[in-house]
Amino acid sequence: MSVTTLTAGVMSREDLARLLAGPASEGQLTAPVRVAPEVVLFVPVRDPDAITLDYVNSTVPPKEYLFPRAEKILGWRGSGPQPELVLPPEPQPLVLFGVRPCDLRAITVLEPVFGGPYPDLYWRRRRELTTIVGLGCTEPGPYCFCVAWGISPVAAPEADLMLTPLEPPAAGGYLVAVQSAKGEELLRRSGVGLEAAGTEPGVLRERRAAELTARFRRLIDPTGVERAAERLFEHPYWRELARRCLGCGICTFLCPTCHCFNVIDRTAPDGSGGRYRCWDSCLFERFTLQASGHNPRPTRAERLRNRLLHKLSYHRTRYGLEGCTGCGRCVAACPVNIDIAEVVADLKGLMT
Amino acid sequence: MTGNPLWPHLATIVKIVDETPDVKTFRVVLDDPGARENFRHRPGQVALLSVFGQGEATISISSSPTRRDYLEFSVRRVGRLTGALHQFEEGYKIGLRGPYGNGFPLEELRGRDLLFVGGGIGLAPLRSLINYVLDRRDDFGSVEIVYGARSVADLCFKEELFTVWPKAPGVRVYTTIDRPEYGWDGHVGFVPAYLAELAPSGAGRYALICGPPIMIRLVLQELAGLGFPPERIVTTLELKMKCGIGKCGRCNIGSTMVCTEGPVFNLARLQALPPEY
Repeated sequence: MSVTTLTAGVMSREDLARLLAGPASEGQLTAPVRVAPEVVLFVPVRDPDAITLDYVNSTVPPKEYLFPRAEKILGWRGSGPQPELVLPPEPQPLVLFGVRPCDLRAITVLEPVFGGPYPDLYWRRRRELTTIVGLGCTEPGPYCFCVAWGISPVAAPEADLMLTPLEPPAAGGYLVAVQSAKGEELLRRSGVGLEAAGTEPGVLRERRAAELTARFRRLIDPTGVERAAERLFEHPYWRELARRCLGCGICTFLCPTCHCFNVIDRTAPDGSGGRYRCWDSCLFERFTLQASGHNPRPTRAERLRNRLLHKLSYHRTRYGLEGCTGCGRCVAACPVNIDIAEVVADLKGLMT
Repeated sequence: MTGNPLWPHLATIVKIVDETPDVKTFRVVLDDPGARENFRHRPGQVALLSVFGQGEATISISSSPTRRDYLEFSVRRVGRLTGALHQFEEGYKIGLRGPYGNGFPLEELRGRDLLFVGGGIGLAPLRSLINYVLDRRDDFGSVEIVYGARSVADLCFKEELFTVWPKAPGVRVYTTIDRPEYGWDGHVGFVPAYLAELAPSGAGRYALICGPPIMIRLVLQELAGLGFPPERIVTTLELKMKCGIGKCGRCNIGSTMVCTEGPVFNLARLQALPPEY
């Protein structure tokens, strides 16, 4: 995917605090914070000093700021015979700082789901109100494999401003690509000026990408794995793999591209209420359980197969986009070491 | 919220018919005249009904689009939402959004002889098409309806089944119940067996099926034996759905979304899908 860059230049590490000071003081900044020794989360930040820059990636992807875990989609007053529908609260403007390229790609992966012939207004409104500052990686984590999906670890077109750290650790400042009007506006309001890069920005970025790519340790080639949906659908592999799956759903909750949701109504004692869209997981038995008792995916084998083939095949068949971004969170968090990169290799092995 | 596909329109229940001990048909009218005008469905399409406080359920539209003053939904009481809906009375409001899905292939069916095979509540989506065909009688060939339920009490749409449809020109109705019953002098036996007995020819005819999964499976076998090619066997699937618009990820069969690409499939398309429905 080509990156549309309006302007590009270099800013110092000190300028970063100035860039974020305005949104932070207005309560509009969300950025990575180390909330526990091994846990980095995107949380609202009022003091830019609280932000951590020393993280491979956040424990939970920032997806929830565009597609919340639970979101009120409509409300009503007076349930029962004569309800009156009321609008849900309007989302607030947001500056989302520090989004990594894998999680930025996830936005592109999700766009056709929330777009298409029935555009999702909730997603679209949050997209409009959110200014995204991407932050290129300085070091691949042990589970990272974004490069296998053709993702650059230092650049992504989805960001309004894309920051590429120039030298590890990021003390050398950032190459800043202004990629949208929203990005331009954030930069202008901060008063931070960009200096001309000594080297042509594209060349700088390519060089950083190449250096980093060479340091990835999980090397897989997913080419052709999508054919497993047709060729291996009924292979015993899935049942074997699912023997250790606990069905906990952690892989789906940490996945930057999982979008399955449930819709739940809640009623208050006064009869008013609301309809909420909540994250759900295709690994849960009740996800596809019908009121009649019939379940098209009755065991963990069918459910795990559905999740993995959705990532590796179905999404690509439907939308022409890879469903996995190689962020590695599902691999890191799985209590029984189910590893989607290994699954790719296994499936390709079974097809040769 | 204009243009919000998840925002339901309010609709008023104007009539409730008790079809069976656990099926009611709700006749509803959309409150907003504009929404009423814009709601144009094809037989076989579905809508999402809201019972505020209970959520939404995907229900097939059982009325024909040729009857534009109202929409009808025949709902079996099986769970929480349908249980609550069954408590509703005329004048109550529900939410409604849709229509969704592809519907029956009307262009393909035009001029053809049609065989409808239904079981239980499975007659609901077929009823929309049956009444559509009867309202445009000259556009279609002969109509045969084979329908069964567990007992007389469990037969849906009794007035149409016994009075209206048999009187329509070029229509034959064959009704069966699973077990003998006092006062019933009609056919007794399961739908697939009755179909085998009737042995309608597959030559040039389309078969449209809906019913419980076991009935569908056995009827498909019978139809193949009667010479119906897979392209002329049409069925409609019911999967759990939360959005109806291809986003909630619940009703996929492989990469196919039943809510947007179905729920109507011919057997040839169904056989090309992974066996997971």
